[in-house]
Amino acid sequence: MLLARFQFTHPIHLVVGLMLWSLWFVGVYSGLSVACAVAPPPPEAGAFTGLNAALGGVSLITAVGFAVLAWGGGQAAKQHQGRQRFHATVSAWLYLFSAFGVVFAGMPIISVPPCL
Amino acid sequence: MKSVNQEAIEHDPQQLHNDLHAIWCNPKGLRSLTIVNHTTLGLRFMVTGMVFFLIGGILAMLVRTQLAMPDQNFMSPEIYNQVTTMHGTVMMFLFAIPMLEGLAIYLIPKMIGARDLVCPRLTSLGYFCYLFGGIILTSSLIIEMAPSSGWFMYTPLSSKEFAPDLGSDFWLLGITFVEISAVSAGVELVVSILRTRTQGMALHKMPLFAWYILAMALMIVVGFPPLILGSILLELERAVGMPFFQIAGGGDPLLWQHLFWLFGHPEVYIIFLPAAGIVSTLIPVFAGRPIVGYGWVVFAIIVTGFISFGLWVHHMFTVGIPQLAQAFFSAASMLVAVPTAIQVFVWLATLWLGKPKMKLPMLWVMGFLIIFVCGGLTGVMLALVPFNWQVHDTHFVVAHMHYVLVGGMFFPLIAGLYYWLPLFSGRMPSENLGRWGFWLTFLGFNGTFLIMHWTGLLGMPRRVYTYEAGSGWEIYNLFSSVSSFVLSAGIAMVLLDIALHFRYGKPAKHNPWNADTLEWANTMPPSAYNFVSLPNVGSRHPLWDDPNLPHTMKEGKHGLAVATHGRREMYGTDPITGKIREIIHLPGNSWWPLFAAAALAVVCLSLLTEVYALAGVFVIIAGVFLLRWSWENGAHPSAAPNADVATGDPPLHSRTMDGPGLWAMAVFLIANGSFFLSYLFGWFYLWTVSPEWRMPDIPPLSLLVMVLAGLALLAGSTVIEKLLRGLREQRDGRLAAGLYLAGGLGTIQAVLTGWALFSAELSPTQTTHDAVMLVGLFYALFHGGLAVILTVLQALRVGYGYVGAHAPFEPAVVALLWRYNVITFWLLIGALAVLPRVIGG
Repeated sequence: MLLARFQFTHPIHLVVGLMLWSLWFVGVYSGLSVACAVAPPPPEAGAFTGLNAALGGVSLITAVGFAVLAWGGGQAAKQHQGRQRFHATVSAWLYLFSAFGVVFAGMPIISVPPCL
Repeated sequence: MKSVNQEAIEHDPQQLHNDLHAIWCNPKGLRSLTIVNHTTLGLRFMVTGMVFFLIGGILAMLVRTQLAMPDQNFMSPEIYNQVTTMHGTVMMFLFAIPMLEGLAIYLIPKMIGARDLVCPRLTSLGYFCYLFGGIILTSSLIIEMAPSSGWFMYTPLSSKEFAPDLGSDFWLLGITFVEISAVSAGVELVVSILRTRTQGMALHKMPLFAWYILAMALMIVVGFPPLILGSILLELERAVGMPFFQIAGGGDPLLWQHLFWLFGHPEVYIIFLPAAGIVSTLIPVFAGRPIVGYGWVVFAIIVTGFISFGLWVHHMFTVGIPQLAQAFFSAASMLVAVPTAIQVFVWLATLWLGKPKMKLPMLWVMGFLIIFVCGGLTGVMLALVPFNWQVHDTHFVVAHMHYVLVGGMFFPLIAGLYYWLPLFSGRMPSENLGRWGFWLTFLGFNGTFLIMHWTGLLGMPRRVYTYEAGSGWEIYNLFSSVSSFVLSAGIAMVLLDIALHFRYGKPAKHNPWNADTLEWANTMPPSAYNFVSLPNVGSRHPLWDDPNLPHTMKEGKHGLAVATHGRREMYGTDPITGKIREIIHLPGNSWWPLFAAAALAVVCLSLLTEVYALAGVFVIIAGVFLLRWSWENGAHPSAAPNADVATGDPPLHSRTMDGPGLWAMAVFLIANGSFFLSYLFGWFYLWTVSPEWRMPDIPPLSLLVMVLAGLALLAGSTVIEKLLRGLREQRDGRLAAGLYLAGGLGTIQAVLTGWALFSAELSPTQTTHDAVMLVGLFYALFHGGLAVILTVLQALRVGYGYVGAHAPFEPAVVALLWRYNVITFWLLIGALAVLPRVIGG
């Protein structure tokens, strides 16, 4: 199992999820800003632009990735006790929150024109 | 509980105390300035913070007096602007952060079963930088030349054109000086919490307060450097005319807002998290049961720490950012309510399931819960973009900010001070006086700021020195002003209670609140070394599980109950499991931190008065002091010349490859990395957004010279890595020669970088492009030069016998800096020399 290699009982997972969330957040914000400065799509296109599609695609992949990691952390937690169970459980919830954070903060990509 | 040093059981406890006291005790008189002990310095931080709080509070009273009635001339507009700016600045930078850091400096070693923080001299340096910086900044009030552009110093209002006097310079230089203190405290708190917890205190058994402080300290480490960079750039613009924030030269005033709020919003949570840590510590004690959902609180702390960095643009919703980008930040601003709500529910559940005793500290906790929840809710309102636009720059925002900051920081702080007072002094506060103080403060606060929400909704803008009669704001302002004096009376009563208790308070019994954490295993007030012996802690509630633990610790029945070697010692433990890895020996009292801080203060004053030559001289003097300080380390005669330890004890950290200095360097480099990334952000931001930014037709920076410099740096780092591999295998042949070789390669890199800079013929006062490039190259030069100096010093230390296979620690620390330099230098080459050639203007 590929997921087993992640060693979810290690406390590094307490920060990996939200570090990746931060990268996603900075990535979509700066990607949007650069695209709007360099090649803004026409305002009449509304939210149906390539830029929205790209941002949405990246967000979807990121959210699914977090969900998978959360599931992996949850599975690891079931197999351990004590300290290792604590780390895996909290990490799993943090991955799940990161997934939720991507979906919640990325939701406007569906409906808001990018550069207005 | 098992002890590591069983021999200690046979020791005479009084003799042990005497021996430890002889090693750890504080000197008196003038030499008390050399004290590095965390208990003393924590108290100094807090007392100094309270003095600045009183200054900030008086400024607030002046503001409320001016606004009490319309058309008042109590203050001129110029003085009003200075007073409001300094009120915010003093409260945020000179009170809130240092006060909470002081509390953490005082408490953390005691809570985690250590004898001191891991870098005691750094604590001392931090305190003096804070003190001198604070004095310099507040002295501007006396000469009526205080900063007047708001505590956030927005450009262009704070730029030379609109603020030609010294006010902005006082702010920029003074705050940067104070931030040295904040970052240094952040670094050592992180390392202390991760590496010096007593044996057995695994990460998941750590007191929640330590989790909160760990998050706060890491947030300081990452969050403060953007503001340090912004301050340096703005001061350079003001002093020598580099146009970083001026459109005409290719800059952008909005860059300042980004850099400021990249720091400024996390700052709110940097203040809130330790306060919430106080609440999470007190509620279980007074509820008489463990906290409900320890893991959920850890989850909430981590989420808060990260998400709070994703909110900065919600302070900039009105500056013209695309709506979709605003929506991202609006959503993130709402997300941060989730971990906050989790903590509130955890606290309520703990109270619900326990048997709460409404002692004085709990009264302040209750006040916190009410006020902070209200402030949090108006925060969610402000996260909504349309509402934010409506109330932007009105008194509604001022009211929200005070609900969050006073409710979220001040109330828990006072709860904590009352809770730990018996530990500070050995005496109990007056319950009656304290209750009067609470109710006056609570009612006065809500009378001032609840009303202010309506003043804001009625449209009163913030930062106006008066308003016209008939505007409809009169009665609200009058009520706020009267209430603010009630609030002041309440705070005065609390301070009076605290002052009186030192003389008239009833002597406290041991562990008077029946707390569960290790700080209460101290004597009251604590000894300089905290604990005679260091226990093996197997649970989150050591004093509940073993009420006799303080006595056995005092009798020396646990670890490290030896003092005959004459060293200040404590355990270095594994950051995850809490297993003992080494004995950390700490440096003793020293003048060097005071001397270095004093030299830096002269630098600050010289820059203020534009005597740049003197500033340059004192930069060198400060550097010499710091390097001389670093010389007394490891196997130096004044540190740990021999490596003797008791039978069965682990080795001294300086005889291993993984001591706390390595961790401190790593955490410092995180702060440095944050500074560097902020710089890169500025470069790319201006390149992308600034309307007048012009990329030169011919790239000024020689790619060939920069690549050669990068290769020299890489070669130097490779040499150091090879030497490290040898040291790990106990081989130190040709160590000094290797270090000199690396130093030589570093010198080549510095010379080549200087050549590239010189041959670029930049015009940094004409174009922002050249100014930003110059700053980047100076950054590289400074780091390259620093690496060379430290490496050559290591080579010298090999000659003295302070470094070698027997003491291999220090080259590992220097190697980290080399790795960092390699990464950042090549990133600079990419950003400044390669990408402009690839992408163009």
